[in-house]
Amino acid sequence: MIEVHDLRRAFGGVLALDGVTLTLREGERRAVIGPNGAGKTTLINVLAGEIPSTGGAVRLGGHDITRLRSWQRARLGLARVYQRTELFSPLSSRENVALAIASRRGPYRVFGAPARSEQAEADTLLERVGLAGREGMTVHALSHGERRQLELAVALAQRPRVLLLDEPTAGMSPLETARITELVASLERSLTILIVEHDMDVVFRLADRVTVLHEGRVIADGTAEEVRGDVRVHDVYLGKAVTVA
Amino acid sequence: MRQLVRWMLVAAAAGALITFPYWSAPWASRFATTVVRDALILAIFALSLDLLVGRAGMPSLGHAAFFGAGAYAAGIASQRLATDQLPVTLGAAALVAALLALVIGVLVVRSEGIFFLMLTLALAQIVFAIAFQWTAVTGGSNGLAGIGRPMLGGLDFSAPDSIYVLVAITFVLVALAIWGLTQAPYGRALIGVRENERRMRALGYDTARLRLSAFVLAGTIAGIAGALSAYSTRFVSAQDAGLGSSVRAFVTVLVGGAGTLGGPMVGSALVSLIERIVPSLLPTELRISNAILGLVFIGFVLFARQGMVGLGRFAWLRLRRR
Repeated sequence: MIEVHDLRRAFGGVLALDGVTLTLREGERRAVIGPNGAGKTTLINVLAGEIPSTGGAVRLGGHDITRLRSWQRARLGLARVYQRTELFSPLSSRENVALAIASRRGPYRVFGAPARSEQAEADTLLERVGLAGREGMTVHALSHGERRQLELAVALAQRPRVLLLDEPTAGMSPLETARITELVASLERSLTILIVEHDMDVVFRLADRVTVLHEGRVIADGTAEEVRGDVRVHDVYLGKAVTVA
Repeated sequence: MRQLVRWMLVAAAAGALITFPYWSAPWASRFATTVVRDALILAIFALSLDLLVGRAGMPSLGHAAFFGAGAYAAGIASQRLATDQLPVTLGAAALVAALLALVIGVLVVRSEGIFFLMLTLALAQIVFAIAFQWTAVTGGSNGLAGIGRPMLGGLDFSAPDSIYVLVAITFVLVALAIWGLTQAPYGRALIGVRENERRMRALGYDTARLRLSAFVLAGTIAGIAGALSAYSTRFVSAQDAGLGSSVRAFVTVLVGGAGTLGGPMVGSALVSLIERIVPSLLPTELRISNAILGLVFIGFVLFARQGMVGLGRFAWLRLRRR
C-alpha cells in the first residue's frame, strides 16, 4: 500500500532522512520508533507531502506520489494525525469533522447548509471516538485528551486508506492513552496504519511490525518480538528507555 | 416558525430600505437619500472585502483596484458602446473586475499576512497609476465625467430616487448571497483556510485555489459596487482605485466587525456618519472627518478588536446575564 524507497531529506547539512526504505502492505500496522531526532516526524511530514523530499520515491497504492502536494495525497487516501493538535479552534467538534467530510465532495458548494447526511456522519464519527455529547463544543472548550480524540475523528472522516499517526498519545494521561490505543486497535483491519510512538506498551499493543529509525536510517525492521530481541535496538533506544524507567 | 418570523423581519427591513426615498420624503431632505445611497455602496464594497479579511483571513490593502476597475469599466462601456443598458455596463464592470482579480490573485494568493498585505497594496498602486496616467482611456487626473445613469430595458434609473432603489436592491441581493455563502460548505472551507491552512491541505483541500476563488469573487462584487458608484455620482475619479479608497474599506470592515455579516454594514453606516453628518455639526475649523475617522479606528483597534458587532454582542450578553 505504501512503498518508500531510499527516501532522503536534508535540512542544511543535517540528513534527517538518510535513505529510508520500507514497505507496508494493505492493512498492515507499522510502528516507527527511535530516539529523539531519529527522523520519525520528518518521515511522517515527507510521507504526507508537507515537506518535500530531497531524494528517493514514495508510492501509494502503486501510484508514484513523490511529487504530489499534501492535498493531492490526501485526496488519494492519505490522512494524518499531528503530534501537536492541529484543529480549527473557533469551530465546534461537529464542524471540524464536517470540514473533513466535505473535502471529499469539494468546497465549491455555495448554496445551502451542509447536507444533513454529512452532519449525521460527523456525529457518528464523534461517537465512535468517544466524543458523544461534545458535538457542539468548540475546540477551545475541549480537554487535551478530547482534542486528540477529535483529531482522530477528523482524520477518519477523510475515509483514508492510509493513516499516519504522529505520537497520538503524546501528553496524555495513562487512562486517555489506553482509550486512544484501544480506539486505534478497533479500526478496520483494511486500514493501513503507520504510527510513530514513544510509549512501548502502545507500540507492542498496536503494531504488527516495528521499524527502528536511528539518525535517519532504518537500523532494524521486523515483528515486535524480533525487534525486542535485537541488540542494536537495545543500544540506541530500548536500553535507554529501560534505564530511564 | 421562528425561522419564518426571522425571514419576514428580514424581508420587512429590506423592503423598508429599498423604499426609503419614498417614505422618508415628508421629513427628510434629498441629501438623506444621497447619504444612505453612498453608505450602501460602501457597504457592498466592505462586504466584499470582508470575504477576504474576515472570512478567508486575507488582509487585502488593495481592494479599491477592483472597485475602481468596475467603476471605469461601467463608465467606459457606457460611453464607448453608447448604451445605458444595465446588463451591458454592469456586466462589463463585473467582468473586468473579475479578470483583474484573477490576474492579481494568481500573484498574491500564495503569500500570507503582512506579505499578502504589501503585495495587494503594491499591485493596486499599479492599477491606480494606470488609471491616473492613461488619460486617453480613463481621463487621467480629470477623471471620467458624464457617465449616464443606467436603463434596464425600458426601465429608467436616471432619477435620484430610482438610482437609489437600484443600489438598495443590489445591496440586499449581495448581502443575501454572502449570507448564503457563509452558511454553505464553501464558507466553512474559507474559515478553515483562515484558521489552519496547513490542516486544510492535509484534509485534501486545494487551498491556493480556494483562496483564489474568494479573491476573484470579492473582486467581482467590489467591481459591481464601483459600477453603482459610477452610476450614482456620474463620475469616476482615479482616487476611487487609490490607496485611500482601499484603506477606507478596510477601516469600515474592522470598525464594524470583521468576519460577520452585520459588521461591514454597521461599519459603513458609522463611516458615512462621520464623513457626511458629523462635520456639519462641528465648527468649521474642526471639520476634519479623516482625522476623526482615524481616531475612531485607533480606538477600535486598541479597545474593541471585534468592532461594533463585537461590542453589541458583549453588551447583549451582559444584559442577559443580569
